[in-house]
Amino acid sequence: MSVETAKILPLRDGAGTKPKIVAKNVQKYFGNVLAMEDISCTINEREFVAIIGPSGCGKSTFLYLIAGFEKASQGELLINNELVVGPGPDRGVVFQEFVLFPWLTVLRNATLGLDIKGVPRQEAEERARKWLRLTGLSGFENAYPSSLSGGMKQRVAIARALSYDPEVLLLDEPFGALDVQTKNYMIQDLQNLWVEANRTIVMITHSVSEAVQLADRVLILSSRPSRIIADVAIKLPHPRDLRDPQVRRYEDEVTALLSAEVDKAMKRERQTFAGRS
Amino acid sequence: MSVDTSGIRLQRYTRSPASSGLAIPMARIALILVPLVAWEVCSRLGLINGFLFPAPSAILNKLWVQSGPNGNPPYAILWHVADSMLRLLSGLSLAVIIGTLLGVGLGMSQRARLVFQPIISILMPVPTLAWTPVLLLVMGIDNRTTILVVFLAAVFEMIYIVASGIEMLNVKMLWVAWSMGASRRQVFWRVIIPGIFPCLITGTRLGTGYAWRALIAAEMLAASSYGLGFMIYDASEYMNIGVIYGGVMMIAALGYLLENVLVGKIEAATIEKWGVLNER
Repeated sequence: MSVETAKILPLRDGAGTKPKIVAKNVQKYFGNVLAMEDISCTINEREFVAIIGPSGCGKSTFLYLIAGFEKASQGELLINNELVVGPGPDRGVVFQEFVLFPWLTVLRNATLGLDIKGVPRQEAEERARKWLRLTGLSGFENAYPSSLSGGMKQRVAIARALSYDPEVLLLDEPFGALDVQTKNYMIQDLQNLWVEANRTIVMITHSVSEAVQLADRVLILSSRPSRIIADVAIKLPHPRDLRDPQVRRYEDEVTALLSAEVDKAMKRERQTFAGRS
Repeated sequence: MSVDTSGIRLQRYTRSPASSGLAIPMARIALILVPLVAWEVCSRLGLINGFLFPAPSAILNKLWVQSGPNGNPPYAILWHVADSMLRLLSGLSLAVIIGTLLGVGLGMSQRARLVFQPIISILMPVPTLAWTPVLLLVMGIDNRTTILVVFLAAVFEMIYIVASGIEMLNVKMLWVAWSMGASRRQVFWRVIIPGIFPCLITGTRLGTGYAWRALIAAEMLAASSYGLGFMIYDASEYMNIGVIYGGVMMIAALGYLLENVLVGKIEAATIEKWGVLNER
């Protein structure tokens, strides 16, 4: 099996140099289908890493492996040098489709992680309110999720994941279910939040602009079975503006790498199809 | 950083009820009242057999007398209703609790599902009343028999609906709770139970209907002194037609109250408030 291990580039200023998440030759089969061929990478402490790739390449699966929802078929995945064996409160997860608890108010959704830990109610509310404020949800504490728009729901999900103070924040296409205007507004609006959160963040996305605007590093995955084909460090200060020519240059670079991969995947698909008929 | 939220409305759009105003309530009431009035008139004019079809006013009068100190025995209706309710609510609560636990067990474990599915599918369609003779022989004419009949009438429905509710529950909700470090008990109480609440309500509503029907029938076979089913059975022995009709009316009214008002209240306080019904 050919392995094209990612080249680990130097880190941005400010991010730690201590490895937080380490994947070593991770392989994942679904039944007989090889979804992930060989993924090796190191994500450092307080780094914001975006993982991007063609649709269906198993980006989300990689995130679920880190979260501990799925198990790797081969290889190992370490967090803080310890093997991931299952989900745990050191990792907070935000899903594309929000997955709020509809029977809880915004505030109760946000305090749930702390309630589960047994933090006293008053302290839990105080800590949750801080994140609700930072995500722009002040005044909505007592609303039920069903009365909120998609963008607001996702803000709740982000606040919920941050309020119990996980070391790692995992974002699974967090803006994927939102309309373009809401999405652009939220990306802009939440830029400082990630700086404020100041922790290791892994974001799965299929949007290049999202990736280059938010992340310190962009890992590009190949189509299925996936490998890391490029590792691009975005050495620009936050907050970033998409109209900034430097950001544009990174966007073009990642787009070029990605579309070459999509082309290859399409060609291969066409060949297999032609070979079959 | 923070967003101006003043302009965002929190109102949910609700479909306005038919603008015709009173037409529907009027039609509903008329559908009940008109036949009753016609019955009353026909009975008084002697157009129908007054013994087999006593006038509604006579039936209500009978119920009234039987509920009072001059009933035979005094306050008879109240005792009949109280006994029936006691049996119904005990059997039903048992069915809801045990059915939920078993349903969650089945829903969460594919292996358990594979093992238990056939036996449940076999037992579920057996009419509860078919068990009654056996239970009577084992336990005799006793509250335990009727309570067990009520339990059996409701529990399979409960298991089935809860298990399918779990299968429909978004597995990512469990993931969120797990990644918060929730224990099994916390997942059960904080995610599974509220998550399947719409199913619990549907199951309870259907179960109440089945249980109520089974209870009345069981009381006819296995109650010795009180209960609405016993009351009707006893009245038929003495050709006390008014009491029979009165019993049927009570059963209909109480069944309506239980199924719609009681469960409806729970529904309004939970899933309607959460807005989950609108999201489907």
